[in-house]
Amino acid sequence: MEDTVSVEPKASRRDPAQLVRLILSYGVLILLTAVFVAPLLWMLSTSFKTQVEATQLPPTWIPEHFTTGAYSKIFSTGKSQTPVLRWFLNSMIAASAHTALVLVTASMAAYALARINFIGRKLLFAVIVTTLFIPQFVFLMPNYLIVDMFGWLDTLLAVIVPGAAGAFGVFFLRQFFLSMPQELEEAALVDGANRFQIFLRIILPLSKAPLATLAVLSFLTNWNDFLWPVYVLFSPESLTLPPGLSSMQEAYQTDYQIIMAGGVVASIPVLLVYIFAQKYVIRGASRSGLKG
Amino acid sequence: MATQNVRRTEVQTSTRKILGVGGRKPTDASLLTPYLFMAPYLVLFGVFILVPGFYGIWISLHNWDYLLPGKPWVGLQNYVDLFTPGSVTFEPFWQSMDATGKFTLYSVPLLVVVPLLVALVLNQEFRGRNFFRTVYFAPYVLGVAVIGILWRYLLDANVGLVNYYLGQLGLPDNIPWTNELPWAWVALVGPTVWWTLGFNTVIYLAGLQDIDPALYDAAKVDGANRWRRFLHVTLPGLRPILLFVITVTILLSANVFGQPYIITNGDPGDETRSAIMYIAEEGLKNFNMGSAAAMSYVLALFLAVISVANFALFRYRGD
Amino acid sequence: MGRRVTRQEFLLMSAGAGFVLAGCGGGPEENPAVQQQAGAGSGKQYNGPKVKLSFWNGFTGGDGDYMLRMVKQFSSQEKNIDVTMNTIQWPDYYQKVPAAVSSGEGPDVGIMHIDTVATNAARQVILPLDDVANALNLKKSDFFPVVWDAGIYNGHRYGIPLDVHPYALFYNKDVMEKGGLDPDKPPQTKDEYMAALDQLKDKGIQGFWVPSVAPDVTWLFETLLYQNGGELYNDAVTEATWNSDAGVDALTWMVDLIKEGYSPKNVGALAEQVAFQNNKNAFYWSGIWNILTFRDAGVNFGAGPLPQIGSEKGAWANSHNFVIMNKQDQDPNKIAASKFFISWVSRNSAEWAKAGQVPARNSVRESSAFQSLEPQSKIAQELPYVRFPPSVPGIDAVVPAALDPATNEAVLLKKDPEAALDEAASQAKQILKENRQKYQA
Repeated sequence: MEDTVSVEPKASRRDPAQLVRLILSYGVLILLTAVFVAPLLWMLSTSFKTQVEATQLPPTWIPEHFTTGAYSKIFSTGKSQTPVLRWFLNSMIAASAHTALVLVTASMAAYALARINFIGRKLLFAVIVTTLFIPQFVFLMPNYLIVDMFGWLDTLLAVIVPGAAGAFGVFFLRQFFLSMPQELEEAALVDGANRFQIFLRIILPLSKAPLATLAVLSFLTNWNDFLWPVYVLFSPESLTLPPGLSSMQEAYQTDYQIIMAGGVVASIPVLLVYIFAQKYVIRGASRSGLKG
Repeated sequence: MATQNVRRTEVQTSTRKILGVGGRKPTDASLLTPYLFMAPYLVLFGVFILVPGFYGIWISLHNWDYLLPGKPWVGLQNYVDLFTPGSVTFEPFWQSMDATGKFTLYSVPLLVVVPLLVALVLNQEFRGRNFFRTVYFAPYVLGVAVIGILWRYLLDANVGLVNYYLGQLGLPDNIPWTNELPWAWVALVGPTVWWTLGFNTVIYLAGLQDIDPALYDAAKVDGANRWRRFLHVTLPGLRPILLFVITVTILLSANVFGQPYIITNGDPGDETRSAIMYIAEEGLKNFNMGSAAAMSYVLALFLAVISVANFALFRYRGD
Repeated sequence: MGRRVTRQEFLLMSAGAGFVLAGCGGGPEENPAVQQQAGAGSGKQYNGPKVKLSFWNGFTGGDGDYMLRMVKQFSSQEKNIDVTMNTIQWPDYYQKVPAAVSSGEGPDVGIMHIDTVATNAARQVILPLDDVANALNLKKSDFFPVVWDAGIYNGHRYGIPLDVHPYALFYNKDVMEKGGLDPDKPPQTKDEYMAALDQLKDKGIQGFWVPSVAPDVTWLFETLLYQNGGELYNDAVTEATWNSDAGVDALTWMVDLIKEGYSPKNVGALAEQVAFQNNKNAFYWSGIWNILTFRDAGVNFGAGPLPQIGSEKGAWANSHNFVIMNKQDQDPNKIAASKFFISWVSRNSAEWAKAGQVPARNSVRESSAFQSLEPQSKIAQELPYVRFPPSVPGIDAVVPAALDPATNEAVLLKKDPEAALDEAASQAKQILKENRQKYQA
């Protein structure tokens, strides 16, 4: 994937047109980089300002009166309307539990669909794949009522479980399992191993890459989920970060330094995951395009 | 043949080692096994996708307020109302569809073309390419809430950076980005492009790299310049990717919720209130769930038609 | 007595004994049955164990600070009750609270607007408070009658009124002076008002900006509707009557102000308020709560009763009411504490008046503490002629769904006032009918 396919070899053709194009390209790319990075730096910088400095013009990129006041406000342990730390914890728990749930259920189902010939396999797979094309909002009302029936409203279960029913994980892993060579499993079957053992001891260890990709994607999707949590979580202590941030905007109005501090807290974990697991994230994104 | 057998034995030995089994007779694969494998997922799937699929239709046939014991049957009335001018839901629903339509119209071309250009540029540089790719993709992992509050602040009419720098450039510095038209559309489309550009760029990049270099060489030999190579090699090679990007971008734009919710709150008035915003409001704020469910099916139908049309268009072009 | 005493009677007798004993210093702690009953019934004092109360409201503006102060004062005075306040914007409040309460979460006690009380009572989100009123000896004569009656649904009381917040006239003294008007003599009749606008117009000032965005545009319309002798609904609440002559005249007057240049067109959301603050217009009709807003902004303004444009006096108003949430598995101590909290705040609502409110309780309104509050005490003169919507479930959804689009389109000059109001009325009829079906079953 790192191949440079249609690259013009630099060394051999140093003609001026080439050089100009190179410089222009770099210029564009660097400009773009500034466009993408500057707002994030601004968010970080504002989070360390006073309210006055956060709303004054001309803007200061480096805080003149550096303060951690915004952070101490949102991390204050007293009962608050915007318990950001609690939201952080909620998001962590929800995203982790959700990811675990997805990995377990999707891998098992994908294996069965890919490798075991059973009655109804084709039909089940067809049904599952079809739902991939149904937009999420169609399930919004009925799922709300179902979640209410279980008593999960305003609890983390409401944001952990329903999302794991999505078909993407099953589809994605099934593709991978299909591409694995069958000999190992056949040999193991002959040896008298049952499916569970094969699954646990052979398939899973060999699937680390797609599992990691799915894990990262599921984690990120759940962490960033917005529409659903906004409507199923109510009390301040039950929110996850995204609806929490939205409520911060209402609660703090022009205290932008506090709102930005919330944004920073919400961004750091995902950026960390991204930096360390970047290749999984990007691979996941590009793979989803290629399969189509 | 011989090599295969040899291989099989090697494989057998290693599997024995892994599984710690040896010499047992083949187990009768339980008929239940595949169903046991499928069961956990199927439970989730059944409860949260299959059942709601039908339940939603059932709800849409009633005047359904879940906090009230009575949910009177209204048949297709909720649907009929959506197509009857003068009914209570007709105007706000189509207004919200219009807002979603406008948003899609304004954002899709930008989201399809600009990332392609960026991908083309990235595809030729080989120094630091990964660095740029990483940077451009980064906003996408932040989620709509962070993007929303950040850009709401940047676009604030009085204290936002955008207006300040516009003023520095000699342009008007008091544009009401978040609560007046046509600026509100810029306030929605701009941050969306900023947010999603990297994602589409990555997809394009993967597609570009799949194009057989031999095709380019052949074209060069034929004397084709860069533009013609683009037209006749790159674009055709990208067709499935283009189809994918266009379809997905249209669908994602039609689903827009977070940006108008956080950045403009539907302002001015309800002009930028997207279809999803209105559906969620009707169903989960005003508790008219039947009506909201009906709306979601109508919108889903629209999207289905558009997706099919998209597919058909591309396949036609292909021949 | 030949028959056995029923359990209820036994408890009632114990309660009676308990009250007596408590008064005698016998202490309810010694008699568990009594403690339970006293805890559940009385609002006069709280003798139960330590409880935490969750209190939600929508006071996101400066008024929230006043309420928070009262809450803190209460919590420090009452060692056994710890009240935490949570503020959410009102639109989200009415979405989250019913959903949360019905699933067993959410607040214990809250504030609701008077026009939403019937809806939430029908949805069983809130508890009847008849016994609170009785225990606190609250009678109709203690409160402003209109507001007292409006809290009743299905023969039971569900809300204890805290305040009334009517529309008032705000006048920018600086702009009035610039226009050659006397800043201490705001216009009070139609003639005076139009004369003032004319004078301002001559000086190039658009004196009164007509809002185009809901809810402000509709609240202005309702005020004028009342002043013209009209009503929102008929007595049976089966139809909307805002398309009567009174209504058409009201909306036409608003539109004419724009057409004749006294107001700009297409006034954006709350732009009329910003203009008032920035000394661009002279008159602003809005809720009394904006007193705080303009004080904080340093505007040189006065406030008082609205001018009478129509044949009668009239003003739009709403009222904040205390409600107790109907959560499953309630702790009777929490309910008792909530009732006590409500009665405390109600008695101390003069403090709340400082937030730009008119206390609903007569004794508070007549107190010197309130009478000395300017301009609230002047605006309180409007109370005799404010109106609330009928106490019918679902009524709070009718105006936003049907009337808001109509007034908006008329003021944006996109639709003729009469046509807009007629269409809105027919939509309202439909909604009212659906509501009757929905809430009856």
